[in-house]
Amino acid sequence: MLTNIISISLGAILINNFIFSQFLGCCPFLGCSSKVDTAAGMGLAVVFVMGLASAICWVIDVYILVPLGLAFLETLAFILVIASLVQFVEMFLKKMVPSLYSALGIYLPLITTNCAVLGVVLLNVQNNYNFIESVVYGITGGLGFMLAIVLFASVRERVDFADYPECFEGFPICLVSAALLALAFMGFSGMKIF
Amino acid sequence: MKIFKLSAVLLIICAIVAGILGGVNYITADKIAEQQAIKTAKAYAAVLESENYADVEFDKESFPTIDNIAEADNGKGYVVMTSFSGAQGKITMAVGVDKELKCTGISITKHSETSGLGANAASAAEVGVNFRSQFVGEGSDIAITKAGGNIEIIAGATITTQAIADAVAVAITAVEAIL
Amino acid sequence: MNIKKQFKEGLITNNPVLVQLIGMCATMAITTTLFNGVGMGISVLIILTCCNVVVSAIRKIIPDEIRLAIFVVVIAGFVTIVDLLLQAYIPALSDALGVFIPLIVVNCIIIGRAEAFCQKNTVGASFFDGIFQGLGYTLVLVAMCVIREFIGSGRFGGGLIDITNGLRFTLDGTGAGIQLFPSEYGAGIMNLPFGGFITLGLLIAAMQYALKRSAKKREEKEKAAKEVEE
Repeated sequence: MLTNIISISLGAILINNFIFSQFLGCCPFLGCSSKVDTAAGMGLAVVFVMGLASAICWVIDVYILVPLGLAFLETLAFILVIASLVQFVEMFLKKMVPSLYSALGIYLPLITTNCAVLGVVLLNVQNNYNFIESVVYGITGGLGFMLAIVLFASVRERVDFADYPECFEGFPICLVSAALLALAFMGFSGMKIF
Repeated sequence: MKIFKLSAVLLIICAIVAGILGGVNYITADKIAEQQAIKTAKAYAAVLESENYADVEFDKESFPTIDNIAEADNGKGYVVMTSFSGAQGKITMAVGVDKELKCTGISITKHSETSGLGANAASAAEVGVNFRSQFVGEGSDIAITKAGGNIEIIAGATITTQAIADAVAVAITAVEAIL
Repeated sequence: MNIKKQFKEGLITNNPVLVQLIGMCATMAITTTLFNGVGMGISVLIILTCCNVVVSAIRKIIPDEIRLAIFVVVIAGFVTIVDLLLQAYIPALSDALGVFIPLIVVNCIIIGRAEAFCQKNTVGASFFDGIFQGLGYTLVLVAMCVIREFIGSGRFGGGLIDITNGLRFTLDGTGAGIQLFPSEYGAGIMNLPFGGFITLGLLIAAMQYALKRSAKKREEKEKAAKEVEE
């Protein structure tokens, strides 16, 4: 059990990193990474929502959809759960933890359309994970996202001062730097634990 | 009051969409099941020929990567369905094992390996056919050439090759355990 | 809104991936063989067109406060329909694209067009917008596939084209493609995530270069015309 969890965690953070190897969550990854602290805020919000969404969607899938033979409604149910979860988390944080809300607030609505969140719940179903494995995969997948976006933001802060061709302004130069980071993460691919 | 009206509208739309999806699912469910059955049957026939196969009991605790073991009716041996991690994600594969505990063939039904590298293991092109044919006749001591065995790796896909070889070894051990 | 202008916008001047910079996850993830690219492009085209039509048809009767939630439900519905149909009739494509088919739900192209275009336009205009934006998306996917496949494995049309017994299109994804040079000499790195990022980066850069140049040319022309007038 423990080895399983460790291998899921390392897999999600390093070997099959959500951004650099599975391309899940690229839009916020490129959109919210111009500064290290915004990137960290976004990453934290994603870890939070991915962990919660994994837990709730697992329960809904295993105890409601599958027993009723409604597995084909998974995509619809999951996206509704994620959207309402994000709304709920936003309201909860605003009332109970205003300091965390002011740190995460503006990123929360963006998370609904982050495909890493829907991706992780769908992958949980596809990989037949149990409850604990699902939650661990959700949280560590989020941590992998956070690692990627923070690393990338620190690269981007330097890229701003670089002298690149005019037509690379904006996204293209980011994608080229992301490509080089992906190359670095490739070093982890196929790493075997135990 | 407004919030009730809004929720009612959303609920009605959800119900309509769910109803339509139910209809589509009703039409496609049989077809999807049929496609899956065809795929499994093809994989079985590719690794060990027989008219029929009967599922047999095995110790899932000791062999967590193995999904199913089926015995061929003609007494030639067993087909083991196994899913294990490759370089990128899960690989699902059928392994044929005969009564002398030698591999009779492998057939990859699902994988997410890198196209052009690891994916060649499952390809219908010559490189894939040649790769898979190496496994025929191997026993549980199977190993890649680097480790002193007979399995030539696919260029650029050591990890995929190693994972497949390991899975074949596990499949043979599992069959040995039920014999 | 005329059709010709919409066509040009969808394919070039307002291309979803290269100019609006949305829907990039799938663009980078699945463009390893032409089979995947064409399959994904057509799936998105169909879903986008259907969603556009439905959203613009119901745009006047849905309450404004919950329109996004309703759009998401409609999109998820169409995505699931396409997902089920693919599983039933083209299982090879469903296997190859895997989780990226259900993920079309959160593809910003569809919700983006619903919010930016269909809310304000007629059913007819939305229908053509769906087709042209979908075509623009497919075009980028195909370009990415062709580039990555050629450099990565020296091949064209993997999965979709088979030439062993004359030219044939394979819809079950088994075609080996046309080998232009031996795959051992290909730069395998283009098939890895690195290739996805860098190819898209270079494509967008090329697009920005072309758009800037044509804008500059137009400016010069206008300037020249003004000078003549004066």
